[in-house]
Amino acid sequence: MTMRILLIEDNEELAGTIVDRLRAEGHCVDRESDGNEANDLLRHSLFDIILLDVNLPGKSGYEILRSLRARGDATPVLILTARSQIDERVVGLDAGADDYMVKPFDFRELLARCRVLARRRSGTASNIFVAGGLSFDRAAKRAIVAGKDVDLRAREVQLLEILIDNLGRMLTKEEVADKLYSFDESPSMNAVEQIVTRLRRKLHDTPLVIKTARGLGYMAYVADDE
Amino acid sequence: MLPMTSKTRSYSLQRRLLSLMALGFMALLLIISLLLWNYARGAANRTYDLLLAGAALAVLERVSPGPNGPSIDLPSSAMEILALAPDDRVVYRVFSPDTGVITGTTDLPVPSDMALQATPVFFDAPYGDPFRFVLQGRQMNSPDGRLWVAVQIGQTLEARHAQQLSLFLNGMTGLAGISLIGLGFVWLAIQRALSPLRQIEADLSARSPGDLTPVEAASPSEISGLFDAINGFIVRLDRNLKLTEGFIADVAHQIRTSLSALHGHLSLAVDSKDPKKMHARLVRAELQAERTVRLTNQLLANAMVIHRSDRATLKPIALKPVVRDTVAEMLRDSRMRKIIVTFDADQVADGEDIVIADALSIREALRNLIDNAIRHGPPDNTIDITLGIEDDALALKVEDAGPGIPEADRARATERFTSMRQDTAGSGLGLAIVQAVVDGHHAKLRFGTARKGGLSVMIAFPRAIGRAATSLFIIIALALGLVVPDGAVAQTITIFSATDTPAMAPVIAEFEARNPSVTIVYEEYQTVALHKAMLAGAAPDVVISSAMNLQVDLVNRGIARRLDMPEAEALPEWSTWRSELFGFTFEPAVIIYNSELFTPEYLPKEHRELANFIRDNAITLEGRIGIYDLRGSGIGYLFATQDAEQGMQSQRITEILGQSGVRTFCCTSDMVAATASGEISLAINVIGSYAMSLAAQDPRVGVHFLSDYNLVMARSAFIPKIAPNPAAAELFVRFLISEDGQHVVATQSQLIPILEVAEIESWAFSQLRAQKGSFLPIRLGPGLLTYLDNLKKSNFLEGWDASVRRSR
Repeated sequence: MTMRILLIEDNEELAGTIVDRLRAEGHCVDRESDGNEANDLLRHSLFDIILLDVNLPGKSGYEILRSLRARGDATPVLILTARSQIDERVVGLDAGADDYMVKPFDFRELLARCRVLARRRSGTASNIFVAGGLSFDRAAKRAIVAGKDVDLRAREVQLLEILIDNLGRMLTKEEVADKLYSFDESPSMNAVEQIVTRLRRKLHDTPLVIKTARGLGYMAYVADDE
Repeated sequence: MLPMTSKTRSYSLQRRLLSLMALGFMALLLIISLLLWNYARGAANRTYDLLLAGAALAVLERVSPGPNGPSIDLPSSAMEILALAPDDRVVYRVFSPDTGVITGTTDLPVPSDMALQATPVFFDAPYGDPFRFVLQGRQMNSPDGRLWVAVQIGQTLEARHAQQLSLFLNGMTGLAGISLIGLGFVWLAIQRALSPLRQIEADLSARSPGDLTPVEAASPSEISGLFDAINGFIVRLDRNLKLTEGFIADVAHQIRTSLSALHGHLSLAVDSKDPKKMHARLVRAELQAERTVRLTNQLLANAMVIHRSDRATLKPIALKPVVRDTVAEMLRDSRMRKIIVTFDADQVADGEDIVIADALSIREALRNLIDNAIRHGPPDNTIDITLGIEDDALALKVEDAGPGIPEADRARATERFTSMRQDTAGSGLGLAIVQAVVDGHHAKLRFGTARKGGLSVMIAFPRAIGRAATSLFIIIALALGLVVPDGAVAQTITIFSATDTPAMAPVIAEFEARNPSVTIVYEEYQTVALHKAMLAGAAPDVVISSAMNLQVDLVNRGIARRLDMPEAEALPEWSTWRSELFGFTFEPAVIIYNSELFTPEYLPKEHRELANFIRDNAITLEGRIGIYDLRGSGIGYLFATQDAEQGMQSQRITEILGQSGVRTFCCTSDMVAATASGEISLAINVIGSYAMSLAAQDPRVGVHFLSDYNLVMARSAFIPKIAPNPAAAELFVRFLISEDGQHVVATQSQLIPILEVAEIESWAFSQLRAQKGSFLPIRLGPGLLTYLDNLKKSNFLEGWDASVRRSR
């Protein structure tokens, strides 16, 4: 899976190594070192992922992110920061950034996170989600595992969509229930558990793993990627 | 530099001591003031009881047995004594238990258990307003044997209250002064006592930062503890500084060593000719770089945690979401894919998880605990995170299924740079960070063996009170006052007045011109009729009369409204009473004569010559002298009784007047007209204002002043308590006594103003100025009540009748 990545980072050495590493993986990488120029570039170019440093000359990373989202651009953004504490308003399900990593980071981990973001993006943006032997057609609400149709109930299809939209992200059971049920249906947590269990069984032989953390929630990830 | 004292605890010892002392002084002053207040009341009562007793004695002395039982000739001295309390109203009665009330007010209150005795008895009783009474009796012989006659006199309490207040305030002023001096001494003492603290302050502030020797000073025993504490702190600081120095040395050593190793691997790789060996070197170099990164991160985290625990960043936070978010975030890490993580906080309800903490530090501690579990445990490790309540603490427990730490090693696990296992790339700082967080939160750290065999780490946070958050709502009540635009509403005030309408008309016209919203209805009365109307309950807005005694009588009954008018301060003292009754004219009693019959030189100079003058001219003056009819004219009675007070010659004059066939008149104008026409030759005690204004127009009328004394009366005004428009009425009275009003009186009416209005030249004013020293103003006050006593009045009038009318 080749990704088109924009790296916005002003440190030459670090930027050089990241670019080299990402290109070595076969990705297509552009690099900007100035905040203003990066902001201009983002106005008319499309990328699969943006790696964004916070401290930049010209415009700060947060400002670039804010104007990006204000334009309605949903490109996944991974923040690179040297600060050990990150403003919680920047990262989160509803906030602008999709993930963040604290420098110095492990390149393998960076690549893994990028892959998760790209998957999440492709799962949301296109109708067909493919992971190893699994292929899921959003429009047709059909899932195919190893060439065979999987019989999925409506709730299971919904849950699969939710999990694909939030790949690599922990969802609490309550969040899943809220997304799964409408306002007037009273969701039971047991029902959610049962749906998850059934879906997990049906996807057992695919790289899409539904991880359960008791007391915390669910997280889906694609095992092949790591 | 960090602020050394936190805001909430900052206070001044000196101020605290001073304010405590001041509070003490105030409490003392309060107690003393209560005692003083009572003492002052007693003293004021004793003083003014003497007046009551004196008046009672004066009255009793004048009680005499008569054919119809005991009788009394009320002495004016009694009222004069009472008038020494100038603003107090007076009531009295003379009575006999056997024959009833002889004179005075009949319904005065007497305590039921009070027996009549020959010594004065004082008591307080309400009679409309609070009054203080004296009751004293006297036994006297009568045709029916011995009988008791008693006098009861009452006075309102104004003078007593004023005296009490004055005594009290004088006392309190002195005491307050002494208290201030006392506080001054307290202040000095505090200054002295606190000087050792200043010595420490000087010592500490003069120190260089590196000087950590103990403070040397002779300390008083009270603060030797403080001294010991400061010195103890300095010793600990010194130790801590040495530890920090050690830490920095350790950190330098660790980082340099780590970097050296990294550097070594890289150099070897660069120099290596064999690509396989080079790759092997690079792999080791990357591992070493990873270790260095982790070491650096941990050192920074350690520094941050310690730094944050130094600064007071702790605040109440809910622990559950902090733990959940931290774990959820760590789960994104791809190292965590195979690790089973559970979080159990079911035992803790929402709102029960409030602790005073720093979220960032707790996050760091938890991250290190989980990181340790990942690092030291198997790839499919299980990490169980539990939040529970243990006793009074909130326990955060992290357990894993890894190898754990042997019990013997646990004690030193939290020491810095003590990694339990070399092979897992531990920095030796993870648990040290946890320990620092625990210390910063006053929490407890406990190691144990997990249910699944690994290490169990528990941090017990002291719980904050979570649920008792009470909100305080401050309700600000806005009081909306209704603003009534005054002056916009048309008002009518009614004046009942015993003054000729033409005399008052210019004043009223001027007032109405200045106050367009006020209309005046003026009703003219005779003095006695006005007095009767008021007693009958009439409710005009202003009452004006020339009969000072009747006005005083009305005000003494408590029916007048108190007026605080700055203009009243300019009035002569004799012409106001109780801030309720205000004189506004100056009207001497004069002799008028027909100037065609007499020259002024021929007329008598003094009162005592008057009787001789009449007798010497008995034939020419037979039936040609005019006086007021005392039964019909209030002003005539007032002048006559005041003359009687001046000496015995007035009785003689009256008798001689009677013998000369004196004529009586109801009113001034008739008397002046009769004089002008020659119908009579002479009129005595005529109201000077009218007389002079008429004399100015009629050359046949002459005005004559005597040189020993000339009585002066003032027309006076008051506003009844039941006045329908008191505010507008007050405006009018203020105008009446203001300089402007007095100017109108002087220039446009025939009355004479009570204030000396400058720059006005007239015949009347020059006459008055020439007689200045001889004027004897009649004082508004209780003294005028003597001749209003029914018995006294009827006796006086009977005597007058006998003299004047017998001759007819």
